[in-house]
Amino acid sequence: MLDIRPTPPHAPMTAPGRPAPRAALANPQVRDAGAVRPAAASGQHRPGRRARRQEGSPSRPVSRRILLRNALSGCALLAGAKGAQASGRPAAAAGTRPARGVRGRAAQDEIVLGVSAAFSGSSRGLGIELYRGATAYFEHVNQRGGVGGRQIVLKLYDDGYQPDPSVQNTSALIEDQVFLLFGYVGTPTVTRVLPLLKKFQDDNFYLFFPFTGAQPQREPPYGDVAFNLRASYRQETGGLVDNFVESGRNRIGVFYQADAYGRSGWEGVKRALERHGRELAGEATYRRGAQFTASMRRQVEILQESDPQAVICVGSYNACAAFARDAVNLGLEVPMANLSFVGSENLLGRLTTLEDSGRYTQFLVNSQVVPSYHDSSIPAVREYHDMMERYDPQPPEALVTEEYEPVARSFVSLEGFLNAKLMVEILGRLGDDPQRSDLERAVFSVRDFDLGIGELASFGPDRRQGLQRVYYTVVEDDRFVTLEDWAAVGAGPQAE
Amino acid sequence: MKVHKLFRKTLFGVLFLFFLILLSTSLLWYRTIDRQLSEEYETNSRNIAKTIADSSVDILLNRDLSALQSLIDQFAEIQSIDYIYITSETGEFIAHTFVPGIPSDIRDSDPNNTEPVQRQLPGMGSFVEVGSPILAGVAGTVHVGMDTDHVSLKVQRAMGQQNYLISILVVVGFLSSIWFVNLAAKPLGELLGYAVAVARGDADPEDDARRLLARDDEAGHLARLFSHLSRSREDAGGPRPEPDGGAEAAGQ
Repeated sequence: MLDIRPTPPHAPMTAPGRPAPRAALANPQVRDAGAVRPAAASGQHRPGRRARRQEGSPSRPVSRRILLRNALSGCALLAGAKGAQASGRPAAAAGTRPARGVRGRAAQDEIVLGVSAAFSGSSRGLGIELYRGATAYFEHVNQRGGVGGRQIVLKLYDDGYQPDPSVQNTSALIEDQVFLLFGYVGTPTVTRVLPLLKKFQDDNFYLFFPFTGAQPQREPPYGDVAFNLRASYRQETGGLVDNFVESGRNRIGVFYQADAYGRSGWEGVKRALERHGRELAGEATYRRGAQFTASMRRQVEILQESDPQAVICVGSYNACAAFARDAVNLGLEVPMANLSFVGSENLLGRLTTLEDSGRYTQFLVNSQVVPSYHDSSIPAVREYHDMMERYDPQPPEALVTEEYEPVARSFVSLEGFLNAKLMVEILGRLGDDPQRSDLERAVFSVRDFDLGIGELASFGPDRRQGLQRVYYTVVEDDRFVTLEDWAAVGAGPQAE
Repeated sequence: MKVHKLFRKTLFGVLFLFFLILLSTSLLWYRTIDRQLSEEYETNSRNIAKTIADSSVDILLNRDLSALQSLIDQFAEIQSIDYIYITSETGEFIAHTFVPGIPSDIRDSDPNNTEPVQRQLPGMGSFVEVGSPILAGVAGTVHVGMDTDHVSLKVQRAMGQQNYLISILVVVGFLSSIWFVNLAAKPLGELLGYAVAVARGDADPEDDARRLLARDDEAGHLARLFSHLSRSREDAGGPRPEPDGGAEAAGQ
């Protein structure tokens, strides 16, 4: 259940004389919009309208119905703010209200996490599912009193998986003095945001657990402004290449998005092949934002000329699904590997709309950075299922203006769930007076932490990435299962 | 609008002159704008290539290529910059903006060339490519492709605007010429009519003829001369002139 909290009576985080965010000025209603809080209790109110009735009254639990109503009305307010994106202003969602803590400190009753992610556009499925998974865990924590008595509040912005809006959103989040940045989506967006964080490094603005495996936020000079949980694209592509080569597939081509994300994956494949004394067999690109309806015929033809034995796709689900469809239709019947960023369920969802979808899905090999959510023997997976079932997190309606059917369970939402779980652990280590300046110390204190997935997470000054493991999956019965035999990929269902 | 025969050639001459001005200024403008824009774009492309080359050193030496790609993607958003690619010192393409792939013309070209090159890429258009070495060429080369069609489009747009303005001036000028010519031709018509009337022996001139005789210009002088000649002939008892072709001409 979502809750939109009204603006507090004061905005202590606003610097004297600082103008209100433009979206708020443009739409007075937006001033009332609070942050999206995956919590069941609301404790602060603004003098005015609905809030005035409760002025002076102590915090009290709010019924689910009221929360839902608040969420919907808040979403409507946010929709007005979202229009700001078109005019170049930050695509504000619930993000027009300054956070209420003193500079660098969390407020007495809440910790605001700033999020800029893809809630619109062709990759919205990634932002939405990551958000849903994280929300399930945060809501669970908030219902149990929050972290040290503070509710976790998400301040959401939509960047549509585009670099410029992500920079604008981040700038607004910094201006709003959120406690930290969390759950960003995408390499082209994150790589553009990193210099901004570097500029505000003295204010200890950190980016936690972005949904990208690119190198810039793992290495100098920007590695010290971000913390990663997931394995890197280099690890994913390295594992894919190693396994393909070991199974006798030496000629490997790359189909990739023509941007920083694609280049990151391309480089990972190239480096891995060089380790084996090989070169890229061929490469083809597509433009970011391509839809499933787009033709990838030309890309397939380019790769066909290099006669690859496998193709590694570094793209988003719509483009990669379109490529798999056209590749098989044009006779390029080789294993097609996708990285974790693709959003496996969204990819599968596109391909299963095709007639005789098994023709296409039999060639898919997807690397994952979290274990299979079908494996209920894993404690964190059980927890994930339980909380997704219990809280049934919904997409943020105001930001999701295009048609979108949430995926019940997915690798992406499981990753969001694990991100939230570790985030809560780190926030808990900040003590009674959470300060941004203590964040790095708290993260580095995480050593061999058991998230419940069988791999222990550790951080340190030279280790900005918590987990290292990569998992490989193939499609069986219209769902992704663990890959057991690399040589059998594309040869029909795996042997039992 | 009626144009007197006497001035038709003059009007056509004026019209021809206008079109000559339009054509010559258009050609001059086209050459000037095209040259200046091309030079400016080429200079900008060179500067961009140099900026990328200077910025790339640190990225190439210390970081991964996604940062480099992110950098060139930002520059590729600049209008008229159609593609950017970076080759390593060994000639390998390490970052580029081509979709769906690197054109074979570029793949087969000299990766270290920094001189301006005219390229005609199938399915993409025509380009001028400039290059800039990274770390004096030992770390690679940045290549920036400028879309010449974009320059042509800009020139055409400027030409279109100029021609639009001149065309309006031509039409206004031409209509004004006709009006002025007719203004000048009107007394001649009246003079012709008066001459015919005199030839027919009309004793009492009409109002128009009186106005004509009162004019203090060449038409008035001629009218009075006709009147004087007619009266002199009558006084001498000579025959009246026959109003033949002149009468028809007056009716025109």
